[in-house]
Amino acid sequence: MTELELLNKIKTDPAYFSEIFKLYYTSIFGYILRRTGNFDDTADITADTFFKAFTHIKNFSYKGISIKVWLYRIATNETNQFYRRKQKRISLFNKIDFENKEQFRNYLHQDRDQLEAELKRHHQFLTVLNALKTLPIKYQEVIALRYFEGKDNKEIVEILNINEGTLKSLLSRGLQKLREKCNQI
Amino acid sequence: MELQQMTKPEISKLKHQNMLQKAILKAKDKSALSWWWLSIPLYILASLLMKSLFVPSTTLGSNLHDLIDNAKYSSILFFVIVPILFLVINFISIREIHFLSGSPKPFNFLKVVWFNLLIIIASILILLIYLL
Repeated sequence: MTELELLNKIKTDPAYFSEIFKLYYTSIFGYILRRTGNFDDTADITADTFFKAFTHIKNFSYKGISIKVWLYRIATNETNQFYRRKQKRISLFNKIDFENKEQFRNYLHQDRDQLEAELKRHHQFLTVLNALKTLPIKYQEVIALRYFEGKDNKEIVEILNINEGTLKSLLSRGLQKLREKCNQI
Repeated sequence: MELQQMTKPEISKLKHQNMLQKAILKAKDKSALSWWWLSIPLYILASLLMKSLFVPSTTLGSNLHDLIDNAKYSSILFFVIVPILFLVINFISIREIHFLSGSPKPFNFLKVVWFNLLIIIASILILLIYLL
């Protein structure tokens, strides 16, 4: 099924949104985890990202960008907002109803244990991430997309809605600043 | 480049995914402020307009001034605070819809935000009638 066919199906039956979950949930979760380095914040931000995507997909214009780029765009915006607010957010998990809340918390707990162990295995990454988090958000997002997600210039330009010249200059200045921060550690 | 070679945490499967998916598919987006609040000043204005049409020697302006004299705080609430709040909320909402719609074409975008634009026009109208 192509993205356009999937979108048309979602517009007639929202239950087809589960296909988007299957296709992109882990990759978006991974992206946010590599931006925050924290399981609980990642789970909250990813849930918000997919909730916003679900409530706005009926207005989504396929001709503009692909669903994947669109999800990365929302995820980037939600993560940036999380850093700008710097305050405790009301978790979506407390606002929506689960069939079995206890079971959900249990699964979440198991995922947390597994991913916290995974994070600990990448000590060098965590050191770089902590240094990256001290830089302005505009540098964080380009460096994370390029070096943590392995996106090329074309994809980053689409996700961030900026031109290639701006991206190159942000990457160059961001890397220089990150190098300085890492040398201080 | 060291950053590219560095190993990063990867995710293969998440146990909570299916339950979250089901919960989100059932969830509904709730607006923080109902547009019905705007119907209060619109209703009052319509009543004042009717009064000025059917009661001799009164105008909308004079009726409005009477109302302001009699209910200063509630008139400020309904004719100034509520419309300003709606203007701000709807401008933010339009900006967010544009972002979440994935850069749509102008006509498609207008089809989505026509109600927000209507609320903005009504809010400006209420403010102008009150302030002029």
